[in-house]
Amino acid sequence: MADVAPGREPEELSDELRRRALRLFGRSLHIRTVDTGSCAVCESEIRLLAAPHYDLHRLGFFFTPAPRHADVLMVTGPAVRAAENLLRKAYHATPDPKAVIAVGACALGGVYPEDELIHGAIDRVVPVDVVVPGCPPSPLALLQGLLVAVGRLEERVCALSLDLDAGSAK
Amino acid sequence: MAFWFYRGLRRGIATTRYPKSIDPWARALPSAPAFHSARLTTQIADRLAQACPAGALAREDRELVVDLGRCTACGRCLDVADGVVEPSGEFLLATGVRAALFKRVPIRGDDGMRSG
Repeated sequence: MADVAPGREPEELSDELRRRALRLFGRSLHIRTVDTGSCAVCESEIRLLAAPHYDLHRLGFFFTPAPRHADVLMVTGPAVRAAENLLRKAYHATPDPKAVIAVGACALGGVYPEDELIHGAIDRVVPVDVVVPGCPPSPLALLQGLLVAVGRLEERVCALSLDLDAGSAK
Repeated sequence: MAFWFYRGLRRGIATTRYPKSIDPWARALPSAPAFHSARLTTQIADRLAQACPAGALAREDRELVVDLGRCTACGRCLDVADGVVEPSGEFLLATGVRAALFKRVPIRGDDGMRSG
């Protein structure tokens, strides 16, 4: 989206990008889901976003059936090679500026290794902007992924420590 | 006006308050493991890495490297070592940087006599 200017800090650039995304997408964002061979559990969680409990419309997110109307592609599955063409077409049909959210452990290279049938991760086919781990990710995690993608929420995982004894370290 | 009317209206709302607050039940969802590094030994770390079907755990010298992107929260690591691994309860892991999902846990436990 932005040209990389020499002599500028990456943080500064990403802040600028975030502000731009906020201005562009504002409070209306359309989502197109793309399945590249997932087991459909991620889809069932994505579908729950529209249910009354999560109600993503209150946050200004909407599902759309056409990539040409979409701002965000939510891509699930391990990028099966048979679906490569489909994914590339959906990506190129989505107008700029766009964001790609890779959803689930398969999409991040967790479950299936790369072989002659499977790419193994979405970022080997199209560039990925935000990753949402989980198998499947909870709808709350998906909402967080969407809010992070448009810059309305800070990510938490950078500050996360998996060391329960970190406080008592010598 | 009777208060039950307001209470009824309030309780009639099913929608989550996220992102203002996180639902209290959400911490009970299956989540990636967290580790007691003081009780973690290289032997246990190797066993954990072997038990992980997603390949999310690996030992690099005196560190356990956890790839949260690969973790499927299956819970098999919880059975490998009692009192060393616990569910982290953290599931809001979305990030723009894939590398941020790699977490390093130091191995501070003593291997004792057997490992030499």
